[in-house]
Amino acid sequence: MITFSRVSLLYPHSTTSVIEDLSFDIAEGEMVLVMGHTGSGKSSLLRLINGLVPHHTGGILGGEIVVDGKSTRTTKPGELAGIVGIVGQNPIDTFVTDIVEDELAFGMESLNFPHDVMRKRIEEALDQVGLASLRNREIATLSGGEQQRLAIACALVMHPKVLLLDEPTSALDPIASEEILSILHRLVHDLSVTVILAEHRLERVIGYVDRILLIEGEGKTSIGGPSEILSKTSLVPPIVRLTRSLNLSEVGTSTREVRRITEHLRNELPNTERPIYQSGALLLEVDSVTASFSSKIALKKVSINLHRNEVTALMGRNGAGKSTLIRTIVGLHKDFSGDIKYEGKPIREIDQKTRSQTIGYIPQEPGDLLYLTSVSDECARADKDNHVEFGSTLALLHQMLPTISPSKHPRELSEGERLTLVLAIVLSGSPELLILDEPTRGLDYEAKNRLMRNLYDLSRKHGTSVLMATHDVEIVAEVADRTIFLAEGEKVADGATLDVLLASPAFAPQVAKVMAPRRWLTVGDVLRSVGESS
Amino acid sequence: MKPLHPFTFWALFTALAFGVIASDGNISAFFALGGAALIVYLYKSTGAWSASFKWSLVAGAYFIFIRVLTGVLIGVPRPGNTLFEIPRIALPSWLPGIRIGGSVTLERVSSSFHEGLMIATVIALFGAANSVTSPHKLLRVLPAKIYQLAVTLTIATSVFPQLITSIQRIREAQYLRNGSRPRISSIAIPLLEESLGRAVGLAESMEARGYGQSKKQSRYRPILYTGRDLLLITSGFLSAIVMVVL
Repeated sequence: MITFSRVSLLYPHSTTSVIEDLSFDIAEGEMVLVMGHTGSGKSSLLRLINGLVPHHTGGILGGEIVVDGKSTRTTKPGELAGIVGIVGQNPIDTFVTDIVEDELAFGMESLNFPHDVMRKRIEEALDQVGLASLRNREIATLSGGEQQRLAIACALVMHPKVLLLDEPTSALDPIASEEILSILHRLVHDLSVTVILAEHRLERVIGYVDRILLIEGEGKTSIGGPSEILSKTSLVPPIVRLTRSLNLSEVGTSTREVRRITEHLRNELPNTERPIYQSGALLLEVDSVTASFSSKIALKKVSINLHRNEVTALMGRNGAGKSTLIRTIVGLHKDFSGDIKYEGKPIREIDQKTRSQTIGYIPQEPGDLLYLTSVSDECARADKDNHVEFGSTLALLHQMLPTISPSKHPRELSEGERLTLVLAIVLSGSPELLILDEPTRGLDYEAKNRLMRNLYDLSRKHGTSVLMATHDVEIVAEVADRTIFLAEGEKVADGATLDVLLASPAFAPQVAKVMAPRRWLTVGDVLRSVGESS
Repeated sequence: MKPLHPFTFWALFTALAFGVIASDGNISAFFALGGAALIVYLYKSTGAWSASFKWSLVAGAYFIFIRVLTGVLIGVPRPGNTLFEIPRIALPSWLPGIRIGGSVTLERVSSSFHEGLMIATVIALFGAANSVTSPHKLLRVLPAKIYQLAVTLTIATSVFPQLITSIQRIREAQYLRNGSRPRISSIAIPLLEESLGRAVGLAESMEARGYGQSKKQSRYRPILYTGRDLLLITSGFLSAIVMVVL
C-alpha cells in the first residue's frame, strides 16, 4: 500500500536531514506506530505519506514514496484526498465548518460527490465513530474526545485506504482514548484500512500495533515488530520496563502476554504495599465550592485539602470540572460560592500579587508565558519579577536540564525543554503551592521522567504542595501521593493514589493490570517486593 | 430568526460600509452602526464568532480615542474655536507646518473624531458580518474557481474570533506569572505564533481533504436565496444610496 524507497528529507534553512535513506513497505490493513523523541520528525513522516511534506511545507525530498500506486512527488495532497485521510494533532484547528454534519460533507462536496452518496456515507461514518446523536451540534461545543472522533469520521467519509493520525490520544482521558483505539482497531480488521499513527503514550497504543517505525534522530530510523524495536530503545512503556527490570528473556507488549510470563511472580512474591505517605501541614482548604462556567454548573460543592510535602493528582474525564477548580484556586475564576482558605486565611483577602507568588501556575500551553527572544532573557525577567538574585533562575534551569542552551529562542525548544523553562521561571519565585494543568501532553518518556523527578524533589526537599490535573495515569501512579477524582463537577474519590487508581479499571496503570490482583502500580512497587523476597 | 444566505449579510454590510465611506458623514456612520446592531441582535448566532461585533466595537472605540489624541497633539494647526491650550513643543525650522501641542480647537477635535469614526464604523461592520454569519459558512458557498482567494479569506477571517479566545487565555496565564496586567507586546508574540500555526493547519486540512480539486462542487445541504435575502440586500443598497445622496 505504501512504499518508501531510499527516502531522505531535508527542510529548508536546515543543515541536518530529518530522515535519511529510509526504505520500507507497509501492507494493506496494517497498523503501524511511529515513535521517537519530541521533535524527531514523526509528524513530518506522517505528512510525507499524503504529500503535505514537501508540497505544503517546502523542503527537499530524495527518493520515492508511492502510495496506492501514486508517487507523492507528482501527486498533490489534494489529489490523494480520496486515498489518504489525515487527522492532525489539534482537530479543532483543522475544522472548516461549524456543524458536525457540514464538516463531514466538506471533503465530499469539494470532490463533487452526488448528494445520495454523501447522505449514505455520512450516516455510515457517524455510526462508525458513534456520533449519530450529535449530528447537528456545533463543533465548538463538542468535548475533546468527540472532536477527535469527528476528525476521524471526516477522514472516513472519503473511504480512504490509508489513515494517518498524529497523536490521536494525547489530549484525551483514558476512556475516550480507549474508544478511539477500538475504532481504529475495527477499521483495520473489518475494512482493511492501513493505519499509521504517531504517539508518545505507548502504553495506550502498544497492544494494538503490528509494527513500529522508530525515528532515532540524526536521520537514523528502524522498523520492525513491537518487541524487536522496543528491545533496543530507551523510550519504552511501563510494561516493557517491567519485563526488562525483572530480567525476563521475553519482551511482552500486551497485558495478556506479560501476565502469562509473570504468573510465577504473582504467585511467589511477598505482599508488600507501597508505604502510606505522611504529608505535611494543611496549606489550602477548598470548602464546598460551587462554581459555574459559561452558565453551566462546573463544580458542585467540592471540598478538597492540599498539604505541604505532597503531590496531589486531579483526575477525571474531559469536562469533569478540573480546569474550573484550578482556575478558581489560582484566582482566574472569581465567581464562586463556598470558601477557599490559604493557611487559614480566606483567599479572597489575599491580593493577586501575593497570590501569584505563593501559588505557582503552569498553564496547559506553557508557551503562553514566554514572550522574550532568548532563554536567558526569560530567566533574567523572572529574576526581576520574583525579586531574586540575578542568574538564579538560569542556575535553577541548568540544574534541572543541563543541556539547554541559554541563547536559544524559546520557540525553538522542544515541548519538554519549554516545559522545564516555564517550570524554572515559576519555581524561581519559590511558590508554596505549584499547580500544573495537563503537563505531560506531547512529552516523550525522557521529558516525563525529568518532570517526575522535579515534582518529587519539590515536594520532598522544598516542602512544596503540588497539584497536577492530568489524564496520564502513569505519571499519577509514579509521583502522586494522593489522587482526587472529579466527575460531572462532583468529587467522587479522594484518597491514597493506590486505592483510588485500583478502584477503577479504566484508570488502572499498565503494571497494575498485569499484576492484578496484587496491589502494585509501578515497576518500582514490583521491584520493592522482589527486593524483599531475596 | 431563520438563517439567511451568508452572501446576504456580506452584501448588506459591504453596501453599508461603502455608503458610509462615500457619504463621509457622522450621521450616516451612526445610522449604519445602529442598523448593524439591530441585525446582529436579530440574527445572533452562537459559537465563537458571535462575539466579534462586540469586540470590533471595542476596537473601534479604541481607534477613535487614539485618533483624537494624536489629532489633538500632533498635526497641522486648524483655526477655529479654541477649547483649551496645551504647551507647544518647539520644532526646528525645517519642519514647517507641523506642530506638537498648541491650542486645541473644536474643529480639530471634531475632524479627528470624524476620521476615527469612519474607520471604526468599517471595522464594526466587518465585525457585524462575522457575528451573524461565520466565515466558515461563507467558504461553503464560494465557487471552487476562486480557490486561492477562498482559502485566504477563510483563514484570514477565522483567525479573528479565535484571536479573542487566545488573547484571553494568554493574558490570564501571564497575569498569573507576576500578578500584574501584561503588556500588549508580551501577548503579541505567543499569539502570533499560535495564529500562524493555526492558519497553516487549516490550510493543510483543506488541501488534504481535496478542497479546490474539482471545478464543480456539490452541495450537501444547499443554502438557497429567499425573498427575505433579496429584501435585506435591497434595503442595504437603498440605505447606501440614501446616505450618499443626502
